[in-house]
Amino acid sequence: MVSTELALKVVEILVFPGFFFLIVYALFLEWVDRKFFARLQNRYGPEHTGWKGILQPWADLIKLLAKEDITPAAADKIMFAAVPIVYLAIPLTIMFMVPIWNSNAYIGFPGDLIVVIFLFTLLILSVFFGGWSSVNRFGIVGGLRAALQMLSYEIPMALAAVGPAILAKSLSISNIAAWPSKVFAGNLTPYSVAVGAATVFVMAVGFGIFTLCMIAELEKIPFDIPEAETEIVSGWQVEFSGKKLALLRLGSDIELVAASALMTALFLGGPLGPWPIPPVVWFIVKTTICVLIISNVRALFPRFRIDQMSHWMWKNIVPIAVLYIVAVEMLAAVM
Amino acid sequence: MGETEEFIIPVGPQHPALKEPTNFTITVDGEYVVDAKARPGYNHRGVEKAMESRTYIQNLYLLERVCGICSICHMTNFCLTVEEAMGLEVPARANYIRTIMHEIERLHSHSLWLGVAAHEIGFDTLFYYIWRDREVIMDLTESISGNRVNKAMPTIGGVRRNISPELLRDIRKGLDIFEERIKYYKSLILKETTVLNRAIRVGVLTPHDAVALCAVGPTLRASGIKSDVRADDPYLVFDEVPFNVMTHDGCDVASRVIVRCDEMFESINVIRYCLDHMPDGPIRVKVPVIMRVPETETVCLWEAPRGELIHYLKSTGGTTPYRYKIRAPTLGNIPSVQRMLIGNYIADIPIVIAAIDPCFSCTDRMTFVDVNTEKNWVWDSEQLRRYSRKWYQQNSH
Repeated sequence: MVSTELALKVVEILVFPGFFFLIVYALFLEWVDRKFFARLQNRYGPEHTGWKGILQPWADLIKLLAKEDITPAAADKIMFAAVPIVYLAIPLTIMFMVPIWNSNAYIGFPGDLIVVIFLFTLLILSVFFGGWSSVNRFGIVGGLRAALQMLSYEIPMALAAVGPAILAKSLSISNIAAWPSKVFAGNLTPYSVAVGAATVFVMAVGFGIFTLCMIAELEKIPFDIPEAETEIVSGWQVEFSGKKLALLRLGSDIELVAASALMTALFLGGPLGPWPIPPVVWFIVKTTICVLIISNVRALFPRFRIDQMSHWMWKNIVPIAVLYIVAVEMLAAVM
Repeated sequence: MGETEEFIIPVGPQHPALKEPTNFTITVDGEYVVDAKARPGYNHRGVEKAMESRTYIQNLYLLERVCGICSICHMTNFCLTVEEAMGLEVPARANYIRTIMHEIERLHSHSLWLGVAAHEIGFDTLFYYIWRDREVIMDLTESISGNRVNKAMPTIGGVRRNISPELLRDIRKGLDIFEERIKYYKSLILKETTVLNRAIRVGVLTPHDAVALCAVGPTLRASGIKSDVRADDPYLVFDEVPFNVMTHDGCDVASRVIVRCDEMFESINVIRYCLDHMPDGPIRVKVPVIMRVPETETVCLWEAPRGELIHYLKSTGGTTPYRYKIRAPTLGNIPSVQRMLIGNYIADIPIVIAAIDPCFSCTDRMTFVDVNTEKNWVWDSEQLRRYSRKWYQQNSH
């Protein structure tokens, strides 16, 4: 009996909802992102590999894995080699704490929200070390920019993530994800409808703030400042090539999954939805919608400058996030 | 932080923001640009020297390849220079067709620039949309001349292809579509605060500096100085065509955008006027196949999309020029761009450099001086051979 359970656990880690599923899904989301972004820009995007280019991210990944891997002579060898692995491992770790196929995450525990926020910070730290250890001018500037950018979006991100936690009275992501379905299960009175409408409005604000911070975390336009192609070539990634670059790209794809999964879990009720459709389908639908929102924002704006970004975050988004927490507290009191 | 260390960022000769080979050595303090030095000369192709061993007709097609964007400018200006030296009278219709091609080229160059500027501030969506609509102009160019890039349209004594009445209709229709799109983009850029944040008070060049550093073209006009060769020293049919010299006094990247947009509207009006007033008649006069230009010196000025373009010809009466010199507008703007960069952020470097619409393939034909040793770099072959022998003797162990 024990061995069957163990085998099941191994399958869960390796296949579903573990590494295999996550990598396949991450590359699928990259395709969704690229295709949608391209269509918004009046381009076609990937066309030729597979149906509508759906296999293009796979082709890119395999090609990069086969390419020559160059380490600059001046680079800090150990750190330079470690950064891509860490950069891939952290989003994978985050994914195990976010519910995917039922209301419970694979390794959910009370307080895992704090750990996830901490891991997102650690991710930027690895970005900084990636830029720093490559000893490239553009790399160093990119790494510094990543650290600077983190200072401006981290506080609103944490505040936005704590909002649903206050309402759900739990710091466990699984409990937060399950919370909306419990609330909607209650009986309808005019009072509960009014409170519900107010909650939806306040949570929409929180979702907006969290989405913006996730875009900054993912280094996508308008916050792709650390890898601004036209300014500092590709910033902190500039010296990475071959397998290391492949890992970095896979890592950022899984980061996209992690970001959209967290958006889903905190604000959209996680993988739970009306009954006949299985949770994993809800998960895929909801995260894809989150990715489409991110792609849409990418197509709408030019890149911010680092000073503009931090001014904007501190002057506008941080006060809004504080007001949002106040509103959430008031809601929690009347609920 | 105590003392600040010098941190130098090279921009170019290979850099994604700078599609052409030149180098800007940027000294930065954190994100601020403290100093900027330009170093052209990576793309020396010896065009001027090559011209001295080719006949005038051959040179026509060599000169077209000086620049991929303003090929008509170089080619037609060469024709004007040679025609003036020979005292040729060009038919009126040919001059009108040349003007139309010239202004269509300005439209395509400015819209290309607008797209590149959007790309430099990371607004790729706008870039793709502008370049899609620029295809209207590219299609017009193709239907008029048969080509998209090197048009091979003007020739010494006139132009090589006529514009038929059906084509006139197509041009008018294309211009209407294009004008509407550019109007939309201009209003969009002026309304979108995220774009304006990246453009207003960025890369400031005061009118005094602009004159002192010999800025030319839209860069000069965006500093509020009314200077345009087409108005100051009219060539082709610009003495007949009514048009305004567009200026703006913002002195920054935003006003360079506005000036270029306004110039596009003016160009559209110039083309419309030319289409309405084009006389009938021949499109070229015959010139002998083996041309001899009498002994003379000629200078012709031309308002290229990027600014003032100077062509100089010295002929000694042979079938080839004795000396031909081209001063491309980008060379005139390099000192100003060095000034503009100082005091900005690293993030502004691409857009500030792009704002002069640099074209280094046009510019790099001169011999240059090594900045570090202040020594002239031009050696004849004997000196070079001696130097290489010495170098190998010292280093061959």
